[in-house]
Amino acid sequence: MTDTLSYPDVVQLAVPLFIAAILAELLWIAWRGRGGRYETRDAVTSLIMGAGNVAEGLILGFVAWAFLMTLWAVTPLDLGTSWWVVALCFVLDDLRYYWVHRFGHRIRWVWASHVNHHSSQHYNLTTALRQTWTGTFTFMIVMRAPLVLLGFHPAMVLFCGGLNLIYQFWIHTEAIGRLPRWVEAVMNTPSHHRVHHGRNPRYLDANYAGVFIIWDRMFGTFVPELDREKPDYGLVQNLGTFNPLRVAFHEWLAIWHDVTQPGLSLRDRIMYAVAPPGWSHDGSRDTSEGIKAKHLARHPQDAGTPGFR
Amino acid sequence: MPLEILLAMVVLGIAGIAILTIWLGFGRRRALSEDTAQADWLRHFPDDVVQSVWISSDAHAAFVLTDRGPGLIWSMGADTAARRLLDARVIDSAGGLEISFPDFTAPRVAVRLDEDARLVWKRLMEGS
Repeated sequence: MTDTLSYPDVVQLAVPLFIAAILAELLWIAWRGRGGRYETRDAVTSLIMGAGNVAEGLILGFVAWAFLMTLWAVTPLDLGTSWWVVALCFVLDDLRYYWVHRFGHRIRWVWASHVNHHSSQHYNLTTALRQTWTGTFTFMIVMRAPLVLLGFHPAMVLFCGGLNLIYQFWIHTEAIGRLPRWVEAVMNTPSHHRVHHGRNPRYLDANYAGVFIIWDRMFGTFVPELDREKPDYGLVQNLGTFNPLRVAFHEWLAIWHDVTQPGLSLRDRIMYAVAPPGWSHDGSRDTSEGIKAKHLARHPQDAGTPGFR
Repeated sequence: MPLEILLAMVVLGIAGIAILTIWLGFGRRRALSEDTAQADWLRHFPDDVVQSVWISSDAHAAFVLTDRGPGLIWSMGADTAARRLLDARVIDSAGGLEISFPDFTAPRVAVRLDEDARLVWKRLMEGS
């Protein structure tokens, strides 16, 4: 069994590429006067969140590594390191990403970590780097367990996860419209991911894909970008701060506040932590389903159109 | 990659991009008019009916009266954030009013108002 396999930390190696691409996008927008928007404090907040995410990996990465290596020690399977195994691992890891991402929008405990990625009202390459500082605490590392138990080495699994993250960087842009039809059919693209970042009722809880959009098509969460409805980026309730600490931890604090309020049953307290974002014990808040229902009450003509089926 | 090189690249990258955005004119805050404030409020609270809007002296904030109560909308960079004024604490400040929300995601907003406008805003807030 392979114990000493190692792959490069591709996300760290990609940092110069990230910076160069951001500069290119920024200059393109300034030159052409279209293709997206930048704002200083928003961009700086996103970049600081990205730096914090790398720091979190350096500080807490050992937790995920120790967990996966423990599983590797007990599994009797070893698929080796040939190129097709890496390719298969990449595809299966993308399926893993789809479900982690879907949980990230449907389970508040996981949303508390992921929410900061959606907290910018802009959509540009810096938004891609607005990443969580608290991913370790979602325990979503367990979603990688099946891959390791099937015989994919933990180093390969994490390598493929890094490639997945790098792929998703370039799709955070308004500078690219739509790509050829076959690409849009199979791959996650800027158009598909703009939908995912939209706070429009139509676009909520759609397009969770990482690399391959086929997962959304298979599992019924695909919504196309409509020319008549531009995505409105950000959160249902947008943040009133650029402070990275508040961006990183606000939803965790909100969970704590909700879970510890007096007079709740144990079920209600658990639901505040694990139910979809917007759930409340007294129905005073709206989940994405409630937001869509209210939209349809105002705009009944949208019933049956993409995002409202 | 050696940690010191990664750190230097991150710090210089963030600083360089920040300076470039300012130099390119992307550091300006959104200026509000009555029409844009109303449209932006409805973007945040689509179920509301906006009844009236008062713009701050520097056009970076607006007091909004709706059928569901009063609210504040203010510039967040090139965009806006908005909150209802239900449990907000309002105190006088040198430049106008300082509004504190019991909200970790929007703790405090400084609203620039001349003396006459400050009195009007306080009367509106007390009245609503």
